[in-house]
Amino acid sequence: MSTNAARKAFAIYFSLSLAAAILFLAMTFVTGQAYLPAARYGGAIWVLILSLIITMPLVIPAVKRREV
Amino acid sequence: MTHETTTLKNELSLSVHGMSCAACVSKVEKSVLAVPGVSDVKVSLAANLARVTHESTASVAGIQAAITDLGYQVEIQADDAERFDRERDLRQQEIRRQKINVLIAWPLSMVVMFGLFQPMWIFPLFVPEWMHNKWLMLVATTIIVFGPGRQFFVHSFKGLRRGVTDMNLLYATGIGAAYAIAFINTLWPEAGFGGQGATFFETAALLTAFIVLGRYLEALTRGRASDAIRRLMHLQPKMARVLQANEEVEIPAGSVAVGDIIVVRPGESIPVDGVVVYGHSVIDESMLTGESVPVEKKPGDSVTGATMNRSGMFRFRATRVGGDTALAQIVKLVEDAQASKAPIQRLADLVAGHFIAGVHILSLLVFLFWFFIGFELFSHPAGRFILSPYALAEVGVFGFALLLSITTLVISCPCAVGLATPTAMMAGFAKGTESGILFKGADAVEATTKVNAIIFDKTGTLTRGRPALTDVKLLPGWERAQILTLAAVAEKGSEHPLGQAIVEGAQAEDIHPADADSFEALTGRGVRAGWQGQEILLGTRRLMAEADINIGRLEPAAEQMEQAGKTAMFMAVDGRPAAVIAVADTLKPYAIEAVDHLQQMGIQVWMITGDNRRTAQAIARQVGIEHVLAEVLPGDKAAEVRRLQEEGLRVAMVGDGINDAPALAQADVGLAIGSGTDVAKETGDVILIREDLREVVSAIEVAHATLRKVRQNLFWSFIYNVVGIPLGMGILYPFTGLVVSPELAALAMVLSSLSVTLNTLTLRRFRTTLQRRHSRAAVTQPQPEMLAPARG
Repeated sequence: MSTNAARKAFAIYFSLSLAAAILFLAMTFVTGQAYLPAARYGGAIWVLILSLIITMPLVIPAVKRREV
Repeated sequence: MTHETTTLKNELSLSVHGMSCAACVSKVEKSVLAVPGVSDVKVSLAANLARVTHESTASVAGIQAAITDLGYQVEIQADDAERFDRERDLRQQEIRRQKINVLIAWPLSMVVMFGLFQPMWIFPLFVPEWMHNKWLMLVATTIIVFGPGRQFFVHSFKGLRRGVTDMNLLYATGIGAAYAIAFINTLWPEAGFGGQGATFFETAALLTAFIVLGRYLEALTRGRASDAIRRLMHLQPKMARVLQANEEVEIPAGSVAVGDIIVVRPGESIPVDGVVVYGHSVIDESMLTGESVPVEKKPGDSVTGATMNRSGMFRFRATRVGGDTALAQIVKLVEDAQASKAPIQRLADLVAGHFIAGVHILSLLVFLFWFFIGFELFSHPAGRFILSPYALAEVGVFGFALLLSITTLVISCPCAVGLATPTAMMAGFAKGTESGILFKGADAVEATTKVNAIIFDKTGTLTRGRPALTDVKLLPGWERAQILTLAAVAEKGSEHPLGQAIVEGAQAEDIHPADADSFEALTGRGVRAGWQGQEILLGTRRLMAEADINIGRLEPAAEQMEQAGKTAMFMAVDGRPAAVIAVADTLKPYAIEAVDHLQQMGIQVWMITGDNRRTAQAIARQVGIEHVLAEVLPGDKAAEVRRLQEEGLRVAMVGDGINDAPALAQADVGLAIGSGTDVAKETGDVILIREDLREVVSAIEVAHATLRKVRQNLFWSFIYNVVGIPLGMGILYPFTGLVVSPELAALAMVLSSLSVTLNTLTLRRFRTTLQRRHSRAAVTQPQPEMLAPARG
């Protein structure tokens, strides 16, 4: 996989995962529940990690195929 | 007919070490298939083997790199016996590595466990207070996670970098998250992740400990299963005693050339395949064929490499060496079988490969549900983790949701699925090899279990294929010696057993036939030859009818011969009928018993032959077969198999000759008798090394036992997931206040792998009906009967 394609893949899956984490964070405020900061930010990090793990195997092969 | 350009395909065998699950298999296959020029790849987890089919343009280095980039060790399989030792060494290294991991992880996990539980229940009585120190537990957990647990992080990272996931990722995610919380709670207890009451040390420690235990058990299982091949290869001696200028010289067995004369003394193993040229002996062939009775050998008899010379000294001429020997071919067959995948396994690998992504999605959904909805909605004041000291109230919403998320990751892991089918198949192949039955692949095993009809070829399969001359009925004006001379001349050029019988019968009467001036084999009908200006026709009624020869005066004698189960061949010279010659074959021992047993199993038994209907039915009656396909030309045997298949039957074909190959290929399962030609063995799905037809029954029994084991293993591997996933997601919590902790989930996964391993081992105890009878020593052998072989 070329460097450009790797960068492109990173941009895509990281953006998606970050968006999921930010969405999670937003929901912790929107629901009105009194979550501790550790719970909000800890949860966002966990959502980020899981989202990365979910999106990387989908995005990287797709970008590789487009490159070919 | 169309002409297509074919691309040269090469096959590359690679030893791959470091794989641990079905997802690893899937990962390697995807990665290798992405290499330009690769058209197919089959990976066997149990055999640590990858078989790659590629065009000549594909880069072997590129294929290897595709695998090493994933974090696995790979080497090209050499074609010598020592590679099995190297592979065993690699497997032993893997076992040793995992054993060390277990020896580090478990004692330290116990330190963490006892330290955590120290203030509770009766533990203060025997656990010192200093063990309840958070720094001690942090240090112990750190060693466990970054020591034995490091392998999961390394493999996951390498896989993710290439966009592939496997079970290492599940473990790494779970262990990593638990350790991170434990670390934060120890250093910053006020951070809000549950504080000192919920450090999660034991989660990270025990998760790692259970998973490395599972890895250790898997490594042991794979090591044992692969030993079958290594034991086979070690049957071959390393040295051979070759006659050079009338002196015996010891050379490496690998240096023996075709044509060398080899000397074997009593108690020595035969180095290569050959033909005895001097001396007599008794050879123990049980290690290869399973045949327990030693076999006498004299000049002219063939000997097989790796068998044991019992009594006498003899010399033999090497005919097959290196990769051509029977042993090498058996090893290759077993290896190919191990690399193959049954349809059921392909499904399991596919599920496992896609499961990882699904598990992470499920884990995320579980986290979101419990974080936003469940913790508040189902709040249970006395809620606890099963087998854990934490009250859920101490843990808080994030800790609760995170732990359930981790539990879901771990409990959903289909760890044992990758082992379930291959280990059972390998155990089945090994079981078959004990009886001289070689399944060429896992799909052959599966197909054999579905068979409900078997077709036996007659000549050489049901019968010994060595017919003998029995009768010569002459018309007036002909003499016996004259007829036998002409017949022998005509058949001298024929390779057919009937022709050979006539030649041998003539030679027995001191007639030495010359070579014919012209010879033509008329497939399915007979031969036409020319000699000294005479045209000789010898064959079936059809042949005579085509030549417009009236055989009416020979018919009564022919019918009488056929009623007795002999094959009658009509002979005409220069267009005039001359004689009818009968030959008869011998039924193989135990043919009747084998047919009877198959019928008792509910399998339809058929016989196929080119012989005339009367003779064929006489033979079928004697052997106990009701369904007969007679007068079938060699080229039509496959069509007959297809016809039965179109009636909805799953057909097995048992044959031995070149003309059986199309029928063997057409059948759902082709069983090639070992004494048969290489073509038949090449085409067959199952090779029966011994000529005992009861091994057909054994092959079916072993296949059924193997598939039963596969299904049991899949059940055990999946049941933990099916039951565990809802529990891991917290389904009990609303009703009982109990949730499954991550370490309990890991224990369940280990038990899942253990169940599969132990269940597979029970296949070693399985014995076929024949093996049970041998052990009771209660078999009586039927008298061989004179039967008629068929032309065609």
